[in-house]
Amino acid sequence: MNLSFQTRLTAIAGIMLVIFLLISAALFMPKVDRTVKVMDMLFVIDITQSMDVKDVEFKGQQISRLDWAKDYVRRTLLELPCGAHVGLSVFSEARSLILINPVEVCGNYNDLIQMLTKIDGPMAWVNSSEVSKALFTAMKQAQLIDSKPSIVFLTDGHESPPLHATLFPKYQGDLGIISGVIVGMGGDELLPIPRRDEAGMPTKEVWQANEVMQQNVYVSSRGDLGKENAQKAQTEHLSSQKKVHLTELAKRVEFEYLASPDDPDQLIDTLVDIAKTRDQVVSYDWAPWLATLALILLGFIYLPVTLIRSA
Amino acid sequence: MSLFAWHWALPMVLVLLPLALLPWFTHNQDKKVAWVAIVPVDPLSTIIGFSLKALASVTIASLVLALAGPFMPEKKIERVGEGAEIVLLLDRSRSMDDAFAVKTQAALYTVGKKDSKRRVAKDYLTEFVKKRPDDRFGFVFFSSQAINLLPLTYSKEAVLATIDASALGKGLSNTNIAEALINASDMFKGQNYRGSRIVLLVSDGGQLLEQDAQERIKELYKQENITVYWIYLKANQGMTLEEADGKSRLWADSPERKLHDFFKSLGQPYRAFEAKSLESFGEAMDEIDRQHYDTLIVDEILPRESKTTPFYVIALIAMLLLVMSQLYTVWGVRKAHE
Repeated sequence: MNLSFQTRLTAIAGIMLVIFLLISAALFMPKVDRTVKVMDMLFVIDITQSMDVKDVEFKGQQISRLDWAKDYVRRTLLELPCGAHVGLSVFSEARSLILINPVEVCGNYNDLIQMLTKIDGPMAWVNSSEVSKALFTAMKQAQLIDSKPSIVFLTDGHESPPLHATLFPKYQGDLGIISGVIVGMGGDELLPIPRRDEAGMPTKEVWQANEVMQQNVYVSSRGDLGKENAQKAQTEHLSSQKKVHLTELAKRVEFEYLASPDDPDQLIDTLVDIAKTRDQVVSYDWAPWLATLALILLGFIYLPVTLIRSA
Repeated sequence: MSLFAWHWALPMVLVLLPLALLPWFTHNQDKKVAWVAIVPVDPLSTIIGFSLKALASVTIASLVLALAGPFMPEKKIERVGEGAEIVLLLDRSRSMDDAFAVKTQAALYTVGKKDSKRRVAKDYLTEFVKKRPDDRFGFVFFSSQAINLLPLTYSKEAVLATIDASALGKGLSNTNIAEALINASDMFKGQNYRGSRIVLLVSDGGQLLEQDAQERIKELYKQENITVYWIYLKANQGMTLEEADGKSRLWADSPERKLHDFFKSLGQPYRAFEAKSLESFGEAMDEIDRQHYDTLIVDEILPRESKTTPFYVIALIAMLLLVMSQLYTVWGVRKAHE
């Protein structure tokens, strides 16, 4: 730009005046109320014994599915904006048990994390793992909560006793009231399941083929299916991430399914698309933007490369 | 309170600090001067030029520092309040699903909808928690295992949400009161004694405690100086915790009475409330509420405090001087050209 010396001085004076006004605004402008979209969610963590299988690789280490699930929830909490509400629940047997209804995530972060660390295998009340029914009870209970939170269901999909594809439990209720995501974890390879004792404490043993139900009880009583069922390979004492099953389950309840997501953003992005969001008023401070603009203008004036050159 | 006690919300921004040196490299005095040597040496001008550069540096540095978001982290202070530290033990067994305070046996099994013992317990506990501003609450979850789900916290929201959750869904098959009692005392372990410590058990049944567990509990409750309250939700009107003369001996060996006797033998303050009706439950809660306004040391958290304002003020003052000098220059040069 070619300007006369005088114009240049005036231009700089003008810019300085603008900078001065920007800084005053940063200092004196009151915070503005703005609405942001926040969501309510209920995390349901599978605490059945198949979750003890150490087949998740995380930061170069093999950790158990349960440890990964808890850490994933923790990392998700960190990413959520203040105003979002989070509840925690666990599932064992054929039902989900809500431990805490959704609470605001920033104000109660400490309590939520404390509770999350307490979630562990010994909490399980009965040794079975009916994933589908547990998901259904979670949905039913979420409906009883005023905010109708979205469900994030963390599981490996291992059903014990086993399910037969033709005898899938049905969800008795209306779909679409509760939205949600199934987060799957665990590898593709069938691995032995570490065994817990009566008190829920880990032992050194693993579950053996003859200690778990290998067939669906209902199917074994049916002539046609029974035969095929009886000849099925005995693999129910081993566990992997049941991706086909979880995809099917997600389809039935109109949930999304994320198999072994790497970071919490994937979950949050999915939730933003499907979850009911609530408008939350937050006071927003424009000061950083005003200060940034002031700084850019200052750079414009003092940059050693002369942008405004006199003729 | 040194500058170094401050935290920065966006420490990355601090790498922009060298921008403050920019004014010292700028040479935009490119007016046409025939011969530099004829410009007289003027010490005042040198000082003014120097100060203007310094002011510009200060402005830039202050803005960068303000943008990095300096703040004092939240601080915990102790203040003296009135209240107690209360650990809630809420029975989650299946029988808690039954209707509360009914007269006939048949009505008992129309598994409670709104008036189940669990819902009633939830409603009253919620009201109780709301009434007590300074109390610290903890929550023990117990099924066949007991877990200190919510360690003592001041967050009313967290406690209430945990109590709410306990009323959802059906009850659990096994409950282990002994372990729940032991775990409840663990919440106080290693903590400074701040004021009355209460374990509040709400249940509709008793349990025979094993000898080992009894001794453990006795020892722990004495050690931590814990008061026990038991709100016993009666299923049957005929049953009383204390043996009454002339009453049927039917209940003599009931687990409820055994538990009651055990609590009495603790050697710690103990009171049982036999809730027969909604009113008596409410009265029990009010009674506990009245009794526990002892001095309690309360932690209060002062929220984090932003410290950007002083930086903006400095930037603003420096900028004001710069603007004035620039306007003066413009005026002076215009005068000279006239």
